[in-house]
Amino acid sequence: MVLGAPAGDLQTRRQIGYLPELFRFQSWLTAREVLVLHCRLMRMPRPGWAAAADEALHVVGLDGRGDDKVGTFSKGMQQRLGLGVALLGEPALVVLDEPTSALDPVGRHHVRVIIRELRDRGATVFLNTHLLEEAEHVCDRVTILSKGRSLATGTLAELKVRRPSARLRVTGLPGGWWRRLASFGRWTEQGDWLLVEEMAAGRVPELVAAIVALGGRVEAVIPEQQSLEESFLKLLGET
Amino acid sequence: MSAVLTIASLTMREAVRRRLVAAFAVISIVLVGASGWAFYKLSHGGAFTSGETNLALPQAVVLFMFMFSFVVALSASAVGSLAVSSEIDSGVLQTVVARPVRRSEVLLGKWLGLAGLLGAYTAIVSGLQVAVVYWTSGFVEPDPAAAAALVFAEGVVLLTFVLLLSTRLSALAAGVIGIALFGLAWLAGVGGTLATAFNIHALHTASEVSQYLLPTNGLWQGAIYYLEPSSFVTQQLAASPVGQGDPFLALAAPPWQYLAWTAVWLVLILVLGLVSFDRREL
Repeated sequence: MVLGAPAGDLQTRRQIGYLPELFRFQSWLTAREVLVLHCRLMRMPRPGWAAAADEALHVVGLDGRGDDKVGTFSKGMQQRLGLGVALLGEPALVVLDEPTSALDPVGRHHVRVIIRELRDRGATVFLNTHLLEEAEHVCDRVTILSKGRSLATGTLAELKVRRPSARLRVTGLPGGWWRRLASFGRWTEQGDWLLVEEMAAGRVPELVAAIVALGGRVEAVIPEQQSLEESFLKLLGET
Repeated sequence: MSAVLTIASLTMREAVRRRLVAAFAVISIVLVGASGWAFYKLSHGGAFTSGETNLALPQAVVLFMFMFSFVVALSASAVGSLAVSSEIDSGVLQTVVARPVRRSEVLLGKWLGLAGLLGAYTAIVSGLQVAVVYWTSGFVEPDPAAAAALVFAEGVVLLTFVLLLSTRLSALAAGVIGIALFGLAWLAGVGGTLATAFNIHALHTASEVSQYLLPTNGLWQGAIYYLEPSSFVTQQLAASPVGQGDPFLALAAPPWQYLAWTAVWLVLILVLGLVSFDRREL
């Protein structure tokens, strides 16, 4: 079932926008003609075609390029146009397959903004990506898939199973300090740095105060969180 | 239905934008112009008696139409082969079928658009040819509209068949197979006329079967019948004891049963193409 209707239902597909990973539009059409073609295929009322095309061109940053042939577009511009086509008709569900693979950093940022705006509008966005950093930036819930099987689903916080840690550079600590600070977490020395793992959230200020109370000088504190990539690798058994 | 018409108009627009229509227009004008010169020389050159001219003109008309029907078939095969598989390979179709349209509507739209182009091309070139032949020689074919309709049907048969192939095979394979089978069907037809003249039953049967499996040559034979006056056919048969072996001579109009079979064949192949495309993984 999709949007309360059986998968494939034609009426429901009018509310779905889709950007395939590998696609190409008719190179001999202009960007505006591509958008109008999709308005027609969506059975959108004719009077709304021109405004919908202009709006889509504006949203994806292709203002002024609407009358250029798609064949003259770079891969990134075609991807922007693909996103514009997927957004036609204010869809309730948008499926984006690797939407930023051909975009430069500015383009990626722009797409993330668009995805957040879609979410704020109440639309559901399925983002399929290999860029886990991208998922961290925009996704409320993440499913990790491997070989067609769902390994884990949840919010970012739920998937980042390891508790936060901190890396510290401290001098002047008295001997046996680690016994006095053992309650904060598991300590290891890494050269000039101390690493405390499995620490309860929000205890960094308390830890710094305890070190200072012992006579230590805190020169640097770097709080660390498990990245989604670490969770991903862990789920796949690669770490 | 609106999706079918949208895809059909898109297909026609592509042919115009990609200058396919312009290329065919230029080639056709050159060919019709050259044929006009040839027909003028044939009827006014003084090399033939009036009786010989009366025999030569229908043959020249059939030869011209034969070349033209080959152009139609070649075009049908080329555009049909590119219509589906190359668009799947490039990813164009993926964006279209994601919309609220059925795959059958997409394929029907392409079929309709390409058949429309073939129809327009056949009508224009046939009309030009009839006019040029009349102006230059005064000769009028018995029923040029029926002949043009059968040449168009021949093109649609090949287009439909190649579209079916294109739902599963690469554009190159579909196009090559279409043209090869078209040539084979014509050759089988020629073999059949010779087999009739020389009473070779096995070859005759094989030829008959081939005309039903791919009815392109059967339709072409029908077109010939409507281009040659009955007096010409009678004269040809009287002049040559094996006149029936001439592949450019048609003794009878295509029977309605054969035309009905062609219509059934078209529907069957089209439905098969729709099912094949519907089940294909994109």
